[in-house]
Amino acid sequence: MAFVELVQGILLVIGCLFFAVGTLGLFRFSDTLLRIHALTKVDNLGLGFIILALVLNAASLAIGAKVLLIWVVALAASATSAHLIARAARLQQGDDSGPKGSHD
Amino acid sequence: MKTVATITGRALLILMVWWAFTEGDPSGIGFGLGVAILVTAVSMRLFPEGSVRIRPVQLWLFVLFFLGRSVVAGIDVARRVVSPSLPVDPGYITVQLSLPEGGPRWLLANALSLMPGTLSVSLDGPRLELHCLDTHSSVEEDVRAAEQKVARVFGLPLQGETGFSEGVS
Repeated sequence: MAFVELVQGILLVIGCLFFAVGTLGLFRFSDTLLRIHALTKVDNLGLGFIILALVLNAASLAIGAKVLLIWVVALAASATSAHLIARAARLQQGDDSGPKGSHD
Repeated sequence: MKTVATITGRALLILMVWWAFTEGDPSGIGFGLGVAILVTAVSMRLFPEGSVRIRPVQLWLFVLFFLGRSVVAGIDVARRVVSPSLPVDPGYITVQLSLPEGGPRWLLANALSLMPGTLSVSLDGPRLELHCLDTHSSVEEDVRAAEQKVARVFGLPLQGETGFSEGVS
Protein backbone atom coordinates (compact mmCIF):
# COMPACT_ATOMS: atom_id res chain seq x y z
CA MET A 1 0.00 0.00 0.00
CA ALA A 2 2.82 2.34 0.88
CA PHE A 3 4.29 1.72 -2.54
CA VAL A 4 1.06 2.74 -4.24
CA GLU A 5 0.94 5.91 -2.16
CA LEU A 6 4.50 6.74 -3.11
CA VAL A 7 3.71 6.30 -6.82
CA GLN A 8 0.56 8.40 -6.39
CA GLY A 9 2.53 11.15 -4.71
CA ILE A 10 5.07 11.21 -7.50
CA LEU A 11 2.35 11.29 -10.17
CA LEU A 12 0.52 14.14 -8.40
CA VAL A 13 3.69 16.20 -8.13
CA ILE A 14 4.48 15.61 -11.82
CA GLY A 15 0.92 16.61 -12.73
CA CYS A 16 1.14 19.83 -10.73
CA LEU A 17 4.53 20.63 -12.27
CA PHE A 18 3.01 20.36 -15.73
CA PHE A 19 0.17 22.67 -14.71
CA ALA A 20 2.74 25.14 -13.40
CA VAL A 21 4.71 24.99 -16.65
CA GLY A 22 1.51 25.45 -18.66
CA THR A 23 0.76 28.59 -16.68
CA LEU A 24 4.35 29.77 -17.12
CA GLY A 25 3.83 29.39 -20.86
CA LEU A 26 0.85 31.71 -20.62
CA PHE A 27 3.21 34.41 -19.33
CA ARG A 28 6.23 33.70 -21.49
CA PHE A 29 4.52 33.47 -24.86
CA SER A 30 3.42 36.75 -26.34
CA ASP A 31 1.00 35.47 -28.95
CA THR A 32 -2.55 34.24 -28.28
CA LEU A 33 -2.14 31.13 -30.36
CA LEU A 34 1.17 30.17 -28.75
CA ARG A 35 -0.44 30.59 -25.37
CA ILE A 36 -3.19 28.21 -26.37
CA HIS A 37 -0.58 25.66 -27.42
CA ALA A 38 0.95 25.86 -23.96
CA LEU A 39 -2.34 25.75 -22.07
CA THR A 40 -4.05 22.92 -23.93
CA LYS A 41 -1.20 20.51 -24.40
CA VAL A 42 0.69 20.95 -21.15
CA ASP A 43 -2.38 21.17 -18.92
CA ASN A 44 -3.88 18.14 -20.61
CA LEU A 45 -0.78 16.19 -19.66
CA GLY A 46 -0.85 17.55 -16.12
CA LEU A 47 -4.47 16.54 -15.71
CA GLY A 48 -3.60 13.13 -17.16
CA PHE A 49 -0.98 12.53 -14.46
CA ILE A 50 -3.36 13.64 -11.70
CA ILE A 51 -6.13 11.40 -13.05
CA LEU A 52 -3.69 8.49 -13.24
CA ALA A 53 -2.74 9.04 -9.60
CA LEU A 54 -6.40 9.11 -8.53
CA VAL A 55 -7.34 6.03 -10.54
CA LEU A 56 -4.65 4.00 -8.77
CA ASN A 57 -6.63 3.75 -5.56
CA ALA A 58 -10.19 4.35 -6.71
CA ALA A 59 -12.57 2.78 -4.21
CA SER A 60 -14.56 1.00 -6.90
CA LEU A 61 -14.60 0.39 -10.62
CA ALA A 62 -17.40 2.94 -11.03
CA ILE A 63 -15.42 5.68 -9.29
CA GLY A 64 -12.41 4.89 -11.44
CA ALA A 65 -14.60 5.12 -14.54
CA LYS A 66 -15.97 8.46 -13.32
CA VAL A 67 -12.49 9.90 -12.85
CA LEU A 68 -11.47 8.72 -16.32
CA LEU A 69 -14.66 10.20 -17.73
CA ILE A 70 -13.72 13.56 -16.21
CA TRP A 71 -10.45 13.43 -18.12
CA VAL A 72 -12.14 12.52 -21.42
CA VAL A 73 -14.68 15.33 -21.06
CA ALA A 74 -11.99 17.84 -20.05
CA LEU A 75 -9.97 16.82 -23.12
CA ALA A 76 -12.91 17.32 -25.44
CA ALA A 77 -13.72 20.68 -23.85
CA SER A 78 -10.11 21.85 -24.01
CA ALA A 79 -9.67 20.82 -27.65
CA THR A 80 -12.95 22.45 -28.67
CA SER A 81 -12.41 25.70 -26.81
CA ALA A 82 -8.80 25.87 -28.05
CA HIS A 83 -10.09 25.59 -31.60
CA LEU A 84 -12.75 28.27 -31.05
CA ILE A 85 -10.33 30.74 -29.47
CA ALA A 86 -7.78 30.04 -32.19
CA ARG A 87 -10.35 30.71 -34.88
CA ALA A 88 -11.44 33.94 -33.24
CA ALA A 89 -7.83 35.06 -32.82
CA ARG A 90 -7.11 34.25 -36.46
CA LEU A 91 -10.11 36.24 -37.66
CA GLN A 92 -9.01 39.24 -35.61
CA GLN A 93 -5.51 38.99 -37.06
CA GLY A 94 -7.05 38.94 -40.50
CA ASP A 95 -8.94 42.15 -39.72
CA ASP A 96 -5.97 44.27 -38.81
CA SER A 97 -3.39 42.57 -40.97
CA GLY A 98 -1.81 45.86 -41.87
CA PRO A 99 1.94 46.47 -41.68
CA LYS A 100 2.04 45.64 -38.02
CA GLY A 101 5.35 43.83 -38.36
CA SER A 102 4.80 41.46 -35.50
CA HIS A 103 7.38 38.68 -35.50
CA ASP A 104 6.61 36.47 -38.46
CA MET B 1 -31.68 -4.47 -37.77
CA LYS B 2 -28.70 -2.16 -38.06
CA THR B 3 -30.73 0.64 -36.49
CA VAL B 4 -31.72 -1.56 -33.57
CA ALA B 5 -28.05 -2.36 -32.97
CA THR B 6 -27.14 1.33 -33.09
CA ILE B 7 -29.89 2.32 -30.64
CA THR B 8 -29.02 -0.48 -28.24
CA GLY B 9 -25.33 0.38 -28.45
CA ARG B 10 -25.92 4.06 -27.75
CA ALA B 11 -28.32 3.35 -24.88
CA LEU B 12 -25.82 0.95 -23.30
CA LEU B 13 -23.04 3.52 -23.64
CA ILE B 14 -25.17 6.20 -21.97
CA LEU B 15 -26.15 3.79 -19.20
CA MET B 16 -22.48 3.12 -18.58
CA VAL B 17 -21.84 6.85 -18.32
CA TRP B 18 -24.75 7.09 -15.87
CA TRP B 19 -23.29 4.21 -13.87
CA ALA B 20 -20.00 6.09 -13.66
CA PHE B 21 -21.76 9.36 -12.74
CA THR B 22 -23.64 7.78 -9.85
CA GLU B 23 -20.56 5.79 -8.79
CA GLY B 24 -22.49 2.55 -9.21
CA ASP B 25 -25.23 3.49 -6.75
CA PRO B 26 -28.13 1.11 -7.54
CA SER B 27 -30.82 3.45 -6.14
CA GLY B 28 -30.50 5.79 -9.14
CA ILE B 29 -30.94 3.14 -11.81
CA GLY B 30 -34.64 3.84 -12.50
CA PHE B 31 -34.02 7.50 -13.16
CA GLY B 32 -30.90 6.56 -15.10
CA LEU B 33 -32.88 4.30 -17.42
CA GLY B 34 -35.28 7.14 -18.17
CA VAL B 35 -32.44 9.54 -18.87
CA ALA B 36 -30.67 6.98 -21.06
CA ILE B 37 -33.77 6.44 -23.18
CA LEU B 38 -34.35 10.18 -23.59
CA VAL B 39 -30.73 10.93 -24.43
CA THR B 40 -30.66 8.07 -26.93
CA ALA B 41 -33.74 9.47 -28.62
CA VAL B 42 -32.18 12.94 -28.79
CA SER B 43 -28.89 11.54 -30.09
CA MET B 44 -30.65 9.63 -32.87
CA ARG B 45 -32.27 12.88 -33.95
CA LEU B 46 -29.13 15.00 -33.73
CA PHE B 47 -26.68 12.41 -35.04
CA PRO B 48 -28.59 10.04 -37.27
CA GLU B 49 -26.60 6.94 -38.04
CA GLY B 50 -24.46 7.61 -41.05
CA SER B 51 -22.69 5.39 -43.45
CA VAL B 52 -19.52 5.40 -41.39
CA ARG B 53 -19.16 2.92 -38.60
CA ILE B 54 -16.58 2.87 -35.88
CA ARG B 55 -14.24 -0.11 -35.69
CA PRO B 56 -13.71 -0.91 -32.00
CA VAL B 57 -10.23 -2.42 -32.33
CA GLN B 58 -9.04 0.45 -34.51
CA LEU B 59 -10.59 2.91 -32.07
CA TRP B 60 -8.51 1.47 -29.23
CA LEU B 61 -5.40 1.59 -31.39
CA PHE B 62 -6.21 5.24 -32.12
CA VAL B 63 -6.68 5.95 -28.41
CA LEU B 64 -3.24 4.47 -27.67
CA PHE B 65 -1.69 6.42 -30.54
CA PHE B 66 -3.39 9.59 -29.32
CA LEU B 67 -2.27 9.08 -25.71
CA GLY B 68 1.33 8.56 -26.80
CA ARG B 69 1.29 11.61 -29.07
CA SER B 70 -0.37 13.85 -26.50
CA VAL B 71 2.26 12.95 -23.90
CA VAL B 72 4.93 13.86 -26.47
CA ALA B 73 3.02 17.09 -27.16
CA GLY B 74 2.88 18.10 -23.51
CA ILE B 75 6.55 17.39 -22.91
CA ASP B 76 7.51 19.13 -26.16
CA VAL B 77 5.69 22.36 -25.29
CA ALA B 78 6.85 22.21 -21.65
CA ARG B 79 10.45 21.88 -22.84
CA ARG B 80 10.08 24.92 -25.07
CA VAL B 81 8.44 26.96 -22.31
CA VAL B 82 11.15 26.30 -19.72
CA SER B 83 14.14 26.67 -22.02
CA PRO B 84 15.54 30.21 -21.69
CA SER B 85 15.70 30.98 -25.41
CA LEU B 86 12.01 30.06 -25.94
CA PRO B 87 12.64 28.10 -29.15
CA VAL B 88 9.50 28.53 -31.26
CA ASP B 89 9.05 29.34 -34.91
CA PRO B 90 5.30 29.75 -35.27
CA GLY B 91 3.40 29.85 -38.50
CA TYR B 92 0.32 28.66 -40.30
CA ILE B 93 0.02 25.75 -42.67
CA THR B 94 -3.02 24.56 -44.56
CA VAL B 95 -3.57 20.90 -45.31
CA GLN B 96 -6.08 19.29 -47.65
CA LEU B 97 -7.88 16.51 -45.86
CA SER B 98 -8.99 13.41 -47.71
CA LEU B 99 -11.34 12.42 -44.88
CA PRO B 100 -15.09 12.75 -45.43
CA GLU B 101 -17.12 15.46 -43.74
CA GLY B 102 -18.57 15.15 -40.27
CA GLY B 103 -17.26 12.93 -37.50
CA PRO B 104 -13.95 11.88 -39.10
CA ARG B 105 -12.83 15.43 -39.91
CA TRP B 106 -13.97 16.71 -36.56
CA LEU B 107 -12.12 13.96 -34.72
CA LEU B 108 -8.92 14.66 -36.63
CA ALA B 109 -9.10 18.43 -36.09
CA ASN B 110 -9.68 18.07 -32.37
CA ALA B 111 -7.06 15.37 -31.94
CA LEU B 112 -4.48 17.48 -33.80
CA SER B 113 -5.02 20.31 -31.31
CA LEU B 114 -3.68 18.05 -28.59
CA MET B 115 -0.87 16.54 -30.63
CA PRO B 116 2.68 17.88 -30.87
CA GLY B 117 3.13 21.26 -32.48
CA THR B 118 -0.26 21.65 -34.11
CA LEU B 119 -3.42 23.58 -33.26
CA SER B 120 -6.53 23.50 -35.45
CA VAL B 121 -7.49 27.03 -36.37
CA SER B 122 -10.22 26.69 -38.93
CA LEU B 123 -11.88 23.90 -40.78
CA ASP B 124 -13.39 25.03 -44.05
CA GLY B 125 -14.62 22.09 -46.07
CA PRO B 126 -11.65 19.82 -46.66
CA ARG B 127 -9.18 22.62 -45.89
CA LEU B 128 -7.80 22.49 -42.39
CA GLU B 129 -5.72 25.43 -41.28
CA LEU B 130 -3.24 24.63 -38.54
CA HIS B 131 -1.11 26.82 -36.37
CA CYS B 132 2.30 25.27 -35.84
CA LEU B 133 4.70 25.82 -32.99
CA ASP B 134 7.64 25.03 -35.17
CA THR B 135 7.27 25.25 -38.91
CA HIS B 136 10.61 23.49 -39.39
CA SER B 137 9.39 20.24 -37.91
CA SER B 138 7.69 17.59 -40.01
CA VAL B 139 4.16 18.83 -39.40
CA GLU B 140 2.75 17.60 -42.69
CA GLU B 141 3.93 14.06 -42.10
CA ASP B 142 2.49 14.02 -38.58
CA VAL B 143 -0.85 15.23 -39.88
CA ARG B 144 -0.92 12.54 -42.56
CA ALA B 145 -0.06 9.86 -40.02
CA ALA B 146 -2.89 11.01 -37.76
CA GLU B 147 -5.25 11.17 -40.73
CA GLN B 148 -4.42 7.55 -41.58
CA LYS B 149 -5.23 6.48 -38.06
CA VAL B 150 -8.55 8.33 -38.06
CA ALA B 151 -9.45 6.81 -41.43
CA ARG B 152 -8.83 3.34 -40.01
CA VAL B 153 -11.09 4.05 -37.02
CA PHE B 154 -13.96 4.64 -39.43
CA GLY B 155 -12.88 1.86 -41.76
CA LEU B 156 -12.37 4.26 -44.64
CA PRO B 157 -10.05 3.75 -47.54
CA LEU B 158 -7.83 6.79 -47.91
CA GLN B 159 -6.61 7.85 -51.29
CA GLY B 160 -3.01 8.89 -51.52
CA GLU B 161 -1.79 6.28 -49.09
CA THR B 162 1.51 6.33 -50.87
CA GLY B 163 3.99 9.14 -50.80
CA PHE B 164 4.33 9.43 -47.07
CA SER B 165 6.62 7.15 -45.20
CA GLU B 166 5.16 5.88 -41.98
CA GLY B 167 8.30 6.63 -40.06
CA VAL B 168 6.62 8.54 -37.26
CA SER B 169 4.79 6.79 -34.51
